[in-house]
Amino acid sequence: MKYLIIGGSAAGVACAETLRKHDKSSEIAVISDEVFPLYSRCLLTYLLAGSIDESKLYFKDKTFYEDNNIKFYLCKKAVSIDRKEKSITLKDRTKISYDKLLLATGASPKLVDVPGIDKKGVFTVRKIDDARSIMKMLNKVERIAVLGGGLIGLRDAYALRQRGKEVAVIVKSPQVLSQMVDKQAASLIAARLEKNGIKIMTGLAAKEIIGKEFVEEVLLDNGEKIKCQMIIIGKGVKANTELAASCGLKVEEGIVVDEFLKTSDENIFAAGDCAQTYDIARGERRINALWPCAVEQGERAALNMLDKKIKYDGSLSMNSVDFFGLASISMGVTKPKEEKDYEIISQVKNNIYKKFVLKENVIVGMVLVGDIKPAGIISILIKNRIDVSSIKHLLLDDNFDYAKIMPLVAKYKDKFKLEECKDTIITY
Amino acid sequence: MSEKHIQRSYDPASQKMIKKAESDNVKIAWDRYDAMQPQCGFGELGLCCKVCNMGPCRIDPFGEGPQEGVCGATKDTIVARNLTRMIAAGSAAHSDHGRDIAHTLLLAARGQTHDYKLKDTEKLKKVALLYGIDINGKSIEKIGEELGEKCLSEFGQQEGELKMTKRAPAKRLALWRKLGIVPRGIDREVVEIMHRTTMGVDNDYKNIINHGMRTALADGWGGSMIATELSDILFGSPKPIRATVNLGVLKEDQVNIVVHGHEPTLSDVVQQAAKDPELVALAKKYGAKGINLAGMCCTANEILMRHGIPSAGNFLQQELAILTGAVELMMVDVQCVMPALSVAANCFHTKLVTTSPKCKFPGVEHVEFKEERALEIARNIIRMGVENFKNRAKERIEIPKEIRGLVAGFTTENTFHILGGKYRATFRPLNDAIISGRLRGAAGVVGCNNPNIRQDWAHVSMVKELIKHDVLVVQTGCSAIACAKEGLLTPESAFKLAGRGLQEICQAVGIPPVLHVGSCVDNSRILIILSQVIKEGGLGEDLSDIPVAAAAPEWMSEKAVAIGFYAVASGVYTIFGTPQPVLGSENVTNYIAAELENIVGGKFAFEADPIRAAQMMIKHIDKKREALKLPPLMYEREPVRMTNND
Amino acid sequence: MTKDLLKKKKTKDIKIYCDITKCVGCRSCEIACAVEHSKSKDIFSAIKEKALPKKRVKAENINNKIISLHCQHCEDAPCIKACMSGALSKDEKTGATLQDKDKCVGCWMCVMSCPFGAIVQDVENHIAVKCDLCPDREDFACVAACPTGALFVGTKEEFEKKVKKK
Repeated sequence: MKYLIIGGSAAGVACAETLRKHDKSSEIAVISDEVFPLYSRCLLTYLLAGSIDESKLYFKDKTFYEDNNIKFYLCKKAVSIDRKEKSITLKDRTKISYDKLLLATGASPKLVDVPGIDKKGVFTVRKIDDARSIMKMLNKVERIAVLGGGLIGLRDAYALRQRGKEVAVIVKSPQVLSQMVDKQAASLIAARLEKNGIKIMTGLAAKEIIGKEFVEEVLLDNGEKIKCQMIIIGKGVKANTELAASCGLKVEEGIVVDEFLKTSDENIFAAGDCAQTYDIARGERRINALWPCAVEQGERAALNMLDKKIKYDGSLSMNSVDFFGLASISMGVTKPKEEKDYEIISQVKNNIYKKFVLKENVIVGMVLVGDIKPAGIISILIKNRIDVSSIKHLLLDDNFDYAKIMPLVAKYKDKFKLEECKDTIITY
Repeated sequence: MSEKHIQRSYDPASQKMIKKAESDNVKIAWDRYDAMQPQCGFGELGLCCKVCNMGPCRIDPFGEGPQEGVCGATKDTIVARNLTRMIAAGSAAHSDHGRDIAHTLLLAARGQTHDYKLKDTEKLKKVALLYGIDINGKSIEKIGEELGEKCLSEFGQQEGELKMTKRAPAKRLALWRKLGIVPRGIDREVVEIMHRTTMGVDNDYKNIINHGMRTALADGWGGSMIATELSDILFGSPKPIRATVNLGVLKEDQVNIVVHGHEPTLSDVVQQAAKDPELVALAKKYGAKGINLAGMCCTANEILMRHGIPSAGNFLQQELAILTGAVELMMVDVQCVMPALSVAANCFHTKLVTTSPKCKFPGVEHVEFKEERALEIARNIIRMGVENFKNRAKERIEIPKEIRGLVAGFTTENTFHILGGKYRATFRPLNDAIISGRLRGAAGVVGCNNPNIRQDWAHVSMVKELIKHDVLVVQTGCSAIACAKEGLLTPESAFKLAGRGLQEICQAVGIPPVLHVGSCVDNSRILIILSQVIKEGGLGEDLSDIPVAAAAPEWMSEKAVAIGFYAVASGVYTIFGTPQPVLGSENVTNYIAAELENIVGGKFAFEADPIRAAQMMIKHIDKKREALKLPPLMYEREPVRMTNND
Repeated sequence: MTKDLLKKKKTKDIKIYCDITKCVGCRSCEIACAVEHSKSKDIFSAIKEKALPKKRVKAENINNKIISLHCQHCEDAPCIKACMSGALSKDEKTGATLQDKDKCVGCWMCVMSCPFGAIVQDVENHIAVKCDLCPDREDFACVAACPTGALFVGTKEEFEKKVKKK
């Protein structure tokens, strides 16, 4: 067997590692178009903030590929796939054949269509090169505007504020993190950011980036001008589907896969930020471009490339942020559209916000701000679709912990897929 | 691991029996201690409160969990309440003992028992005068009756001051009055602790501890002092006496009876009964050469002090005595009697007999002791032992050879006789010895054994370090026995181990450098000695001025906490080996280990290393010498090297 | 349990179980854990350390059922998948879920994904804290501290056999 993986980040590496764990002899190759191997994209904002250096960017040992006898192509971009011949071609015209192929091509930052976006000092933060370029310029910069008040925009803003810069975030929506949390949570988080010197400007968009060669200011749609020497575009990502589409695989928002993470070609699989998978909480197909989902999908795709036929239950969107000591976690459906179909259990107390979204007594979403302790426990209730009617009254309890769900584990033993849950109730 | 017995005890006799316990497969205190590890951190720190049913509450010492109980009690409150309840228990134990002695005195004076007499009539008169009894023209019995009544009434007294507190120097009494801690009655203070520390009463830790001191004073200057003084009257005041100590006092060819516990009422008649010719004859009939009586713990100290009855050992040797396989009978009264004794006794032929209605063991024969028929009951118990001789399993007998001579029987009265020489019955020589720098000062080293520290090692090491630096040591209880086993309670040890100044004193008057003053209630003797030192003059006006210190290096009992607190409240710097369960509250710890010095002149320190603790005591003694502007020590060859900074 | 049994260390099959029927909630495991992870490893000193040691085990209850719960070292560990800094990894030999503190950036992704709530935030140091199976000792501090024998080290079969005996 020859396994080929396009993409050397979370999904690709998890796939390669899992393949090697189960198949000690086959040829495994990973192709990456990056200049730096095995770095964690999520750590780039920590690098920007100065809290880690480049040596800490690795999420696996530097010798991971050697140790696992995996062929690794650095700085190589796959440009086409020949599904009949079962081979791919790199930009340098090299052809590599495969028996099973994983597309873990990831995603790219969404850009904004604003005049002046080509000026020097406008960045996105997706790759290590982006971070390096920003840092090179940073000492000449005092004021920075971040376009986008989602997770990416705020993380970038937080990182740069930690460098002591004047940071303003321009948010199109009426609230920050509109994809992730509700208004209540957003206001707590925004307040914490503002208290620590990040200016949050909601309901506004950039109209033009002004400057000669370099960025000098940004004009907003209300006519206001903000002086800045750097602009970060933090507007979220879009799946890299071009390669898949070019060879005729089924592509919607992302590469469409079945419950075995297989594309419309039985020898080609997809995982990670480029794959459109089933969302457990929402009950629909969607991209959850998140590190834990990518790892899990990479592993699961590997098992199916090994022909083990193990279903992927789907992904759960979940995010964790910590700004200036205010930790927040969201999961699943946090802002149901049709409120009447859902039950909301929530509470704000001493700047701690908890919200649970239930549908027919099953938790489908959660927001925690300020106290994130119960997050993981809730995650298995969501993932395993557990009827929580008997412990509903405990959800807002300050002391909510695993013991509180033990009666459920005992009652719905078979629904809890994690074996270790069963170990805890042997004597229950 | 084969060295376990050596790690557990410093005493070779105990080491042998610990080894025997292992081969006989008998679990002893050290095994249970090991099995108990690790012990509860909340308890060690004093942070567990179970005074009400909203609890138990525990304060998380790591700050993550609850910082107050359900009622809102903070760690300061909880620690102070727990600690003070220990004082209540300790004071109650000593004082209840005192009450029983007073009761016996009354029975003897009224002629309701013929087995006790008022032996020390001189002391009877002295104490009666102290209690304001007009002794003129009254018979001894009448005085005894009135004193017994007066003493007994102090237990239930509600107002006023305990009479014995008048024996303290005027300045001390004035300070106690100013602080409002002169004990009013003995039981009252104990009851008040229980009231104050119950749910929803006192939560000012200083206020709680101050009342703890008042209660402790009711012990030291009340219950314990009554026990000591009335025991002297009833059983005779001790006089210096030679005796022997350690498990080697048990005899292979005799009926061995061990009397264990605390009160002298039982042991004193038992020592009479053991000489009963009829019983001795019976013993011979069973093939024994005679009846050998030995003591254990403080009841041993009572009959050792007065009759020279040998002591088989201290607290951690109670099970070991049974392990020799040579003890026919062990009779116990109250306090420090391990419930495990019945298990050990069951492994051998030893008959265990309880005698106090306050202390029974399930499944153990109870022969209730009554003062009215004391001798008869004592004879019956001894007969049980004699008859048990035939049940010995000879092959299981192993008596360690270790035995040491000692001199015991020192008291307030005879100590100054001794120090003053035959013709100068005064404290002057003692005071002069300190003033001149021949003696650095004095230290009381007292207290228990505890498996958490190598048995006897801390007592012996501390006392050696003290006498080496010319500190005269007075001892009571299990600590005295520990040092006796090491031979420190003989005049000869002065020449080997004491500093030159102390050597000269010991040589001049023929005393050991370490003086055994009795059982744990007899710590009250030390208070009187100190008061006499002040009265004699030249060493300040208050107890806290005297260059002295105290220590309980191997403490385990609540009684030790009560003693510690009356020592501190009397102005004495007092070191405990392992800490009292107070470290969970920085405030309480700081209060008792620092702030109290400015309030009552004494304070606590916790130091498990006995040498370091001794050095801290020496440093304190030197501080007091300096404050009195006393000259440097006469024979200080080199300054004492301090290895720690207090 | 004899002291020798306590000395078992984690392997793929051996782990720490809690017998809910025997746990009295004394929290001795918590104390022992915090002390074991202190600088001094002595309770009297540990409570005075500047950075107070963090416990990694918690006595939790529902009604009268109490469990001493810590990281279950899941075979298919959600926390490892969630860890984007590479701080968490699986020791393939012992099955232990290990943490490299130097690599942890405090993103709380593991907190978010641990089904047991067994990974907690060390806010002062801004890193996640979890059971490390007591690398400095032969046994486990929590198990050794358990006064009722509720905590048990062994295989699942051994544990089931033990609790069935009653």
